[in-house]
Amino acid sequence: MSDQLVQILEGNTFVVSDDRGDIEASRTDPTGLFSFDTRFLSRWVLTVNGQRLTALSTDDLQYFQTRFFLVPGSGTVYVDAKLSIIREREVADGFREKLRALNHENSPVDLVIRVEAASDFADLFEVKDALKKKGKYGNEVVDGSLVLRYQRETYARETWISSTESASVDENGFTFNVTVPAHGEWSTELDVVASDGSPGGEHAGAGARAQDGPIGIRGQGRRVRQDMAHGLEKWLQKVPAVECDWEAVGHIYRRCLTDLAALRFTTLTLPGRALPAAGLPWFMTIFGRDSIFTSLQALPFTSELASTTLLALAERQGTRIDDFRDEDPGRILHEMRYGEMTAFEERPHSPYYGNADATALYVVLLDEYERWTGDTKLVRELEHAARAALNWIDEYADLQGNGYVSYQRRNQKTGLENQCWKDSWDSISYRNGDLPGFPRATCELQGYAYDAKVRGARLARQVWHDTAFADRLEKEAADLKRRFNRDFWVEDGEYFAVAIDADGRKVDSLTSNIGHLLWSGIVDTTKARSIARHLLGPRLFSGWGVRTLAEGEARYNPIGYHVGTVWPFDNSFIAWGLRRYGFKEEAACIVAGIMEAAEVFRGRLPEAFGGYQRNTTRYPVQYPTACSPQAWSTGAPLLLLRAGLGLEPQGDNLIVDPALPLRVGHLQILDLPGRWKKMDAFGRGRVDTDRLTARALGGK
Amino acid sequence: MAADPISQFFADLAAPGHLATFEGDSATLRFDVHDGGQVQHWYVAVTDGDVAVTRQSKAADAVIHVERPTFEAIVTGRMNAQAALLRGVLTCEGSMAALMMFQRCLPGPPGSTGRVPSISSQTVMAQRRPM
Repeated sequence: MSDQLVQILEGNTFVVSDDRGDIEASRTDPTGLFSFDTRFLSRWVLTVNGQRLTALSTDDLQYFQTRFFLVPGSGTVYVDAKLSIIREREVADGFREKLRALNHENSPVDLVIRVEAASDFADLFEVKDALKKKGKYGNEVVDGSLVLRYQRETYARETWISSTESASVDENGFTFNVTVPAHGEWSTELDVVASDGSPGGEHAGAGARAQDGPIGIRGQGRRVRQDMAHGLEKWLQKVPAVECDWEAVGHIYRRCLTDLAALRFTTLTLPGRALPAAGLPWFMTIFGRDSIFTSLQALPFTSELASTTLLALAERQGTRIDDFRDEDPGRILHEMRYGEMTAFEERPHSPYYGNADATALYVVLLDEYERWTGDTKLVRELEHAARAALNWIDEYADLQGNGYVSYQRRNQKTGLENQCWKDSWDSISYRNGDLPGFPRATCELQGYAYDAKVRGARLARQVWHDTAFADRLEKEAADLKRRFNRDFWVEDGEYFAVAIDADGRKVDSLTSNIGHLLWSGIVDTTKARSIARHLLGPRLFSGWGVRTLAEGEARYNPIGYHVGTVWPFDNSFIAWGLRRYGFKEEAACIVAGIMEAAEVFRGRLPEAFGGYQRNTTRYPVQYPTACSPQAWSTGAPLLLLRAGLGLEPQGDNLIVDPALPLRVGHLQILDLPGRWKKMDAFGRGRVDTDRLTARALGGK
Repeated sequence: MAADPISQFFADLAAPGHLATFEGDSATLRFDVHDGGQVQHWYVAVTDGDVAVTRQSKAADAVIHVERPTFEAIVTGRMNAQAALLRGVLTCEGSMAALMMFQRCLPGPPGSTGRVPSISSQTVMAQRRPM
């Protein structure tokens, strides 16, 4: 198979193929046609006269559309240029592929064109973990269409494949015996549709589609596709215009918007509305934390993602005690899945609730959304959900009875150990590398809880008109802040411990989590200077951004997932936090570093990159992860623009207070939407971030 | 004598007349519970948190079809409604949003306590390979 993978997507349907357009998936690699967390095609191979093809070029036309230019033969030496094959593929509810054969000779040519198709109907979890299937397969030719089937008890998934040109169809594919005239062309269109096997419904999990009545499978596919091109155009027209002397900024901005458009996900209960899914290919679904963070990042530019996220998460807010799903009343979900293992309760994702941050962040997003949009109607509509979330913080999250939010999974088999954003097994450690026991109260969770109470109080006072509740929340917030600054402070390092362990001991390593504390506002002003110094100090700051774990800690590893790499999303919130406490120049250094990294990555920031010092590698080294684009990395430049310009809603006004890196030159954002209708923001780069960064690194 | 769990569930649901978790929501649902050759109906009307349950068979925003043993498992917390939907043992005709709302009043699994014994640092370290 060719090395390069090509992926196109729409909603939670996506295709990953090689650069010829072929799919030859093994059980464990994420190539294929996926929809609703299930693989609907694991084999899709084109041959001409029995020969495989070679890619001349591959163009991503749109995020949902690719064109492959091919010639026969696998020849690396000789290419027979007398015949060209063009495959043009568009994702919809499955995909459509236009297949064209162009004869460049002066005489007709006879061709046998063959497309082979098969599916293993693997659940994404099975692809990840290489598990065995429990149901039965069966392929069948129905009225000229090839149907691939999988059935386990009542659970059924089908792939329907048809062609506009007549073909000889067998259980493994399509054969076209054609004659292409001299300098002529032959073409057909292949339609691949993912279905849940129910009459009228054609998607996994879409028993719901029955609400639309019985719809022809192909009719539905067409409708979705037309909406897509139209939708992207509308989306790009609606957002503010960014102009900047530093050309990369405009390019990065457009890349972000297009990737965000691609990551838009529509739930079955809120048709016509979109929220951000977490990332391609593993995370094309609702994640509480990721959807909230991405919505926050994008708020100055579009508020639609935030309102949909708030509604969708409220619909699925926890209401009962369920140890398998780590569900409690009021808790905001962690992850929703639609595949076979979830259906048979072999995985808890229906949905799974194991996170300790999204519930507080939910209230933070609701308040921030209102501050930008003035949409008090939605805040009233979601009052019950917001109150339940605030109640969860006190009633269900204080596992140790010490007044702090802690986490410990109750699902010991398939639940998540670390229920904070750094969710890998070794992310939370003491300086000496030891791992704390459970429950764990990580520091940023206290910051989010504080912020949720402060913001909840504002909403209670101004929108819900419940002064007593507002007073209570403010009192609790003040008390939490006082205790936190006392209990988490590491005296000999002058920073906040990453966590308090089950014995009340400080987990004393230095981490990027302290940046989120600035963002939440929980840090005493007397301690803020010291935090900013650490964030821009040689142990945490790489020159590109803030490392997840400081150099010098036992588990530090510049290419360790949460123990030394730099995360663009993390840095965008750190920059916002620095601005909140008035550290404008420090924030500008982060803006410069991450935007420069984005320039190197051609506008698409990876989930994480190496924590090597900038002078050592010259270029940021991408962390080897399969997930790109990822929603909160995609959103990071948007929040960095906000931080650089110092955009802050204040009543019906938008404050603009720029502190931008020199190389930005002139920056303007036109038509920022909000309660002020439309406003423009201008700024000029005046902060010598190169000098400041060099000074920060030189401190070593 | 053990009551029919489905009748019991709907009786308990209707008893308070109001459920905080449904506040701000309004929808009607009809549950068609298939039992042998027979179909039993429960009709649930939610109006901004107020709940009324009858045995009528009339048009509703969402009509749920389910076999009795499956629904007994769901109303006693032994099966998850969303999983049942994905699996195809429960189907919804009409408003998915109504079903999504309704599932909020379903109980959790019988054995769930919300508690778990704490784990010491030593245990965590013993389970994990050293650096």
